[in-house]
Amino acid sequence: MKISFEKHKMNSINSSGIYPVPFKMVILFLMLFVTCFFSTISAQNEKITLKLKNKTLSEVINEIEVKSGYSFLVRNNDVNLKEIVSIEVVNKSIEEILTQLFKQRQISFEIMGKSVSVFKPQKNQDGSPTRHTRKITGYVTDSNGDPVIGATVIELSTKNGTITDIGGAFVLEVSEKSIVQVSYIGYTPAEIKIGNQNNLTIRLKESTKILDELVVIGYGTIKKKDLTGAVTTISSENITNRKTTQLSTALQGAMSGVMVTRNSNEPGSTGTIKVRGITTISNSDPLVIVDGVPASINDINPNDVENISVLKDAASAAIYGARAASGVIVVTTKRAESDKLSINYTFEQGIDMVSKDPQSVDVKRFMEMANELTWNDAGNGNDKYPLYSDYTIQNYNQLHAENPDLYPDTDWRSLILNKYASKQSHIFGISGGTKAVRTKVGIVYDKIGGLYQNKDYERLTLRVNNDFVINKFISAALDVNFKQSNNTNPISDPMDRVRIAAPVYAALWQDGRIGEGKSGDNAYAALMYGGISTNRYNQFGGKLSLSVTPLENLKFTAIVSPTLNYEKGKSFTQKINYTAASDATNIIGTISGHSATSLIEKRNDINYITTQFLGNYNKETKAGNFNAMVGYESYYYFNESLSASRDQYELSSYPYLDNGPLELRDNSGNAYEIAYQSVFGRLIYSYKSKYLFQANLRYDASSRFAPEYRWGAFPSFSTGWVISEENFMKDIPVLSYLKIRGSWGSLGNERIGTYPYQSTIIFTSGIFYQGTTKVSKLTAAQQQFAIRDITWETTETFDVGVDLNFFKNKLKLTADYYQKTTKDMLLAIEIPDYIGYENPDQNTGRMYTKGFDFELGWNDKIGNWRYGASFNLSDFRSIMGDLGGTEFLGNQIKKEGSEYNEWYGYVSNGLFQTSEEVSQSAKLNDNTKPGDIKYVDLSGPDGIPDGKISPEYDRVLLGGSLPRFMYGGVISGGYKEFDISVTMQGIGKQLVNTYNMAVPYSQGWGNMPKNIDGKYWSVNNTAEQNLKAEYPRLTRTGVENNYILSDFWLKDGSYFRLKNITLSYTYAVPADISKNIGINRIKGYISGTDLFSIDNYPTGWDPELGGMSSYPVTSSVVAGISINL
Amino acid sequence: MKRTNIYSIILLIIVFFASCQDLNLNPLYYGSSENWYSSEEELEMSVNGLYRSVFWSRAEDSWDDDFQSRATVSSITGGTINGESSEVKTLWANSYKAIARANVLLKNTEKARKLGISEKKVKQYAAEALFIRAAQYANLVAYFGDIVYVDRDITIDEAFSMSRTNKDTVMQKVYADFDSAVVDLPISYSENEIGRATKGAAYALKARYALYNGDWSIAADAAKSCMDLGIYTLHSNYASLFLASTKKSSESILVFPRSVEFNSLVYAPGTVQAFLPRNRGGFASRYPSLELFCSYLCTDGKPIDESPLFDSKNPFKNRDPRCTATIVEFNTMHLGVVYDPNPKTITVTNYLTGKSISNKDSKGVDQYASYNGLLLKKGIDEAWVNSNTYKVDPDLIYIRLADVLLIYAEAKIENDDIDQSVLDAINAVRARAYGVSVTSSSYPKITTTDQTELRKIIRFERRMEFAFEGLRYMDIIRWKIADKVLNRPNYGLLDKTQLISLVNNGYWFFGQIPEVDEDAAVDFSNLYNNGFIKLIVQRSFNADRNYLWPIPSKEILINNNLIQNPNY
Repeated sequence: MKISFEKHKMNSINSSGIYPVPFKMVILFLMLFVTCFFSTISAQNEKITLKLKNKTLSEVINEIEVKSGYSFLVRNNDVNLKEIVSIEVVNKSIEEILTQLFKQRQISFEIMGKSVSVFKPQKNQDGSPTRHTRKITGYVTDSNGDPVIGATVIELSTKNGTITDIGGAFVLEVSEKSIVQVSYIGYTPAEIKIGNQNNLTIRLKESTKILDELVVIGYGTIKKKDLTGAVTTISSENITNRKTTQLSTALQGAMSGVMVTRNSNEPGSTGTIKVRGITTISNSDPLVIVDGVPASINDINPNDVENISVLKDAASAAIYGARAASGVIVVTTKRAESDKLSINYTFEQGIDMVSKDPQSVDVKRFMEMANELTWNDAGNGNDKYPLYSDYTIQNYNQLHAENPDLYPDTDWRSLILNKYASKQSHIFGISGGTKAVRTKVGIVYDKIGGLYQNKDYERLTLRVNNDFVINKFISAALDVNFKQSNNTNPISDPMDRVRIAAPVYAALWQDGRIGEGKSGDNAYAALMYGGISTNRYNQFGGKLSLSVTPLENLKFTAIVSPTLNYEKGKSFTQKINYTAASDATNIIGTISGHSATSLIEKRNDINYITTQFLGNYNKETKAGNFNAMVGYESYYYFNESLSASRDQYELSSYPYLDNGPLELRDNSGNAYEIAYQSVFGRLIYSYKSKYLFQANLRYDASSRFAPEYRWGAFPSFSTGWVISEENFMKDIPVLSYLKIRGSWGSLGNERIGTYPYQSTIIFTSGIFYQGTTKVSKLTAAQQQFAIRDITWETTETFDVGVDLNFFKNKLKLTADYYQKTTKDMLLAIEIPDYIGYENPDQNTGRMYTKGFDFELGWNDKIGNWRYGASFNLSDFRSIMGDLGGTEFLGNQIKKEGSEYNEWYGYVSNGLFQTSEEVSQSAKLNDNTKPGDIKYVDLSGPDGIPDGKISPEYDRVLLGGSLPRFMYGGVISGGYKEFDISVTMQGIGKQLVNTYNMAVPYSQGWGNMPKNIDGKYWSVNNTAEQNLKAEYPRLTRTGVENNYILSDFWLKDGSYFRLKNITLSYTYAVPADISKNIGINRIKGYISGTDLFSIDNYPTGWDPELGGMSSYPVTSSVVAGISINL
Repeated sequence: MKRTNIYSIILLIIVFFASCQDLNLNPLYYGSSENWYSSEEELEMSVNGLYRSVFWSRAEDSWDDDFQSRATVSSITGGTINGESSEVKTLWANSYKAIARANVLLKNTEKARKLGISEKKVKQYAAEALFIRAAQYANLVAYFGDIVYVDRDITIDEAFSMSRTNKDTVMQKVYADFDSAVVDLPISYSENEIGRATKGAAYALKARYALYNGDWSIAADAAKSCMDLGIYTLHSNYASLFLASTKKSSESILVFPRSVEFNSLVYAPGTVQAFLPRNRGGFASRYPSLELFCSYLCTDGKPIDESPLFDSKNPFKNRDPRCTATIVEFNTMHLGVVYDPNPKTITVTNYLTGKSISNKDSKGVDQYASYNGLLLKKGIDEAWVNSNTYKVDPDLIYIRLADVLLIYAEAKIENDDIDQSVLDAINAVRARAYGVSVTSSSYPKITTTDQTELRKIIRFERRMEFAFEGLRYMDIIRWKIADKVLNRPNYGLLDKTQLISLVNNGYWFFGQIPEVDEDAAVDFSNLYNNGFIKLIVQRSFNADRNYLWPIPSKEILINNNLIQNPNY
């Protein structure tokens, strides 16, 4: 098992040697671990030894399966498996053994990959075997073009058969003009007449029995036809197609009602997921369940995912009760599906490029605009060149050529940013086993480079899922997962400076020495020489489950799942001196942020453990199907962190704490813990798959509340009616399926701090004189006003939905409408500051949310062409009820009647054009001048306009801040071996605050945004030009008037984004070649992500760029090749 | 069947053990109020919490007219302050946090007695709580006028029903708290005790805030009581009093130590750099204003526009010694390098290396050299550079004897109760500045007993003595001169070419003498009109509203009982 990716450089974490243990060693260790594990259950490709006497043929075959890892398919009944045989071989290959075993018995066999077909050749009348056969190869897919694994392929006349491998491919020897039947559960069997083709692509249509497909729900699965709640699912192919490193970002636009916001775009960055919008004020992140136990979504590698179900309504989520108010995402990881051994390796190489980014003006315009701004602020009539003389501006190019140190023209952007960043992934999977043990191993290594020096992200994930069948009563599963990620960042992130540093400051002196920048503010020097910060995150998790089946329909399962996280960080800041342009020996000062060499080391331990006990009873009778489940769960979470530092190191080459000065050391540490206990139960009843009913109840207790307020009960009910099963509906030809659903449920939330019912005493340090010595003393104070009876917040949801399929299930439509009411909201509403405590969390107020989810899909095939399209749309709006108060969030607010976090600010009325207009109008302050934003005097202390603009009386609600009408879509098509898929995503309506995109001369020396140039109000303009000005005058002293929230800055933030295009080609290796080289299938693909967007943002701004200091939004192109053995 | 039953039982046992999850979890690294104040240590820790630096912030330099920072204005000097301004929200919230903690401590004194803590200790802790409460309320009144007065633990409902209390009523309670506190506060602390509030500090702060509130005799009496304790003396050398190396001077009455080792600093390193010369890696972006420079009297006790001793070509000569102790004199060594902002001085000597270096503190070399040519010297020495880490830890002197002496004098002058003790108090401060004894004849001694004349003297004296100590802002507010001084623009040196021609014509440093009035306020309009200086930035102060700060908008918006200060 030599894996080629050892050859790649994996130990290039950094050059400073902060982590002396190379990554390679870790990989080797893990490989070893996997190898050992795997070799115990299958010794494939190796010669085996057998000594069997007087056993049935069936027993012998079993033994060979166990020892060799090959799986056997006995094609027809002519082979007498009960025949008693004896065999004794030492170190023989499987071929040799089988030849020896079958030779006397006129049994033939064929080895294809890892499977062996055993059959008795059909005889012609003369007794000789049929000779008019030929080999055909084929490829079986479902209607999405995804390979169907394990489909049965049988030649009808001879009953010869085989099954498809993990890539959906098969090889079969057939007679001429025979008919081949392909069948698989959930699909209509297809019969194909073999003509002259040697290579078939067979697309199986889902039968109406597709509704027998299982959907993963809480603590179990349910047949899709019996589903009564609002559940959306996405399959593994749709996730991996998007080529994202983190699972959270793969879900963007993928499902209706699931909103994903990218937190950033930097290597390794994640996304924030909201299911059906905002449900609560505190934490609205959905609960994520991985293989039955709570986890974090980004801890799973997208390549390990088999399936994701999102439980959107209360009825589906209620089984997770207390923590499910914000929805539940249930992730199932891949398991070995059959005994057959398969190996898959994929290599991906990609590049990231800046798609677009805010630009600044050039050096001449910078000087002109800086002069204008300074002149505006001084109000000084004489001198229109207060900073840069007319001569300097006009002759800058020449001055720069003569003396670049005195007249720099620095292009900070191209100095700091590379043209592209490279990324690569190695994805390796093994699956196989025996009847008693099945194993699936996935190893993925990703390395994503940054657009600038010292920035990258590296991750290794390992997942081993094992299933054991011990006897007919007992089975077990043991899953192990490991993740290591390394984040490297420069100490000083340069992005803010890339966008605002003005060209008139020197990054480097002419002779290549570090330049002064702006008085020591030199992002280039800080990036290149300022040191790096590395964060290494290790996660080791596992799950052991043991199931006992004492009665046929009854199953008990006990699960214990611990996860251990260990994180360490090291930030080594290096001192950077800069010298005078004229004198390399004259050290003038240090680069800002790098005045001393210092080291901070951090350690963080997070451990959590989930324990579950489940009982499940299933009964199918004539009166209907009945399922009951009861369960118990407990969860404990512990977090402990530690940090130590020393400052003012004399040497820059020893990044260890011991090497720093003793007197400048500092350290800190803290810990907290959280625990839950729950009992729950569920009843499902389905009458002839026509009338459906489900009820859930869960009791939860949380350590966050005082004992007497600790327990909460969360019930839910749902029902469904499959109208298309009724006789009166059966005659409508276009309609294939119709179900209406309805549900009600109550869910909880308690995510507010750790000990909110206790008024905790916080410790800090104070410095005192003891005599004349300075001492540091611990001080203590209560910071929060505690409310002891604080308890669960509950959200009640009504949901009605419909599932409609037309044209033999080619067109599928699902729609849901819901209303949510959140009660006893956990909210830190404002209390008067003169109480002297911070706003306490309390159960107060209500919020009402209404929304809909809509999904439409179409799949069909015309000849060799196959195509499909799906589209999803969702929307919600949350209105605050009586909160018993208000919560101010700077530019946003929550108060009765407002939307959730609605924009809150002034109403503008254009720009002041003349001094008369200024003097006659209500103003925010006396500093207001023509060219500033004019606000409307809406009210005053007496409820009528008071001639002043004040924050108390003239700010109003300006509209919702949350995105509306989120949509996504996928169009896919294929022709023979080619497949293409196009993914789109967007937001239909959104109000965004744009003032941060237009601030000139930030920090009092920064560059001017290019998008305001020529569009701002200026004294140099004519009155007509100024009437059309889009931006206020250039000013620093007017910042407090102009760059505050008003409707002036709220702009249309809707966008459409081409998320991804993937083109792939699959080559099924002909069986005779496959036999020799061992490769069954090769797939090559190329994929482009975030290639373009359509939006109304200011030039250079991507809709998803967080702000001036965010990592740029990138477009990426990835090419990959995948090999199946 | 039997076997599976055994398996089921084993499974149940495992589950039983696993399920014993305790939900009664308590904080692991901080205390709980449920059982706090249960030992002397806990009580003392709570008392220590009242001295956190956030509760003892001084007015920012950028709020007054002694200070300039390039073309920037603060929300106060720019006139943009409103209920959303961060300084407003911070001062309001922090003051009430300190008050609430003092109130909790007072409530728990009974509990402390039951724990068997000595009566003396309990009384002292209570006195400290009263002292802190009084100081916080007095400061709130000075900034906001009428404020909400809370002297016990209140519920949220009670809080919403409260409104503002008249400031005079509040000040009566403040004086009463100070008076009670004085009784049980120690005069001083022994070598092995943690130094906190003293009798002297209570007298001194009472005097300060009584003066702010115009309660002249209360102020004079409190100041007198403080002086009469006899334990505070003026530091012998004015310049060295503010250095980081001077620790706990006998002049300091209420002093908070700062420490580089404990990472408790007066200024962030970037702010330290802002005060330092560009030749030593500083930014020279925060510096004294031209007005401050021109307000220092000449050695004959007269302002520069009256004194024959003033030479506009050598403006640092014949000035009160506090002038060169506060502002770096041109052509002298500052932090090892000659400081000369003359645009024609292209190189200067760095005596640390002995080399001649390009003079980045001159407009002739660097456009970002100090915009008005001045640099701050007060308290600044090599410790500020601290091997280029710019971390420095001078004491934060909250109130010192010189202030108490001048409070005493001002209160008596305003009360028209002028006697020799008034002159003695002012002369003591002035003589120390000259480094001579109060009886010496080598300094401009005050002899007049004319109220108007003395009022003028006290305004000059305070401006010269307390520059950059966070006192000037309240002085211009209570003297009601802020609308005069903060409506004048900020001036600086001309641009390089024009400046050089000015120098060539013999107009360095000043082409003309500005006018200095009776409030020690300086008017540069003649220099500006004649083209000797450049207007850097306009300032703005609205007399109709800015003498009081606005109540934070949030407090007004959530509570109908609170009315905003006028004209905000």
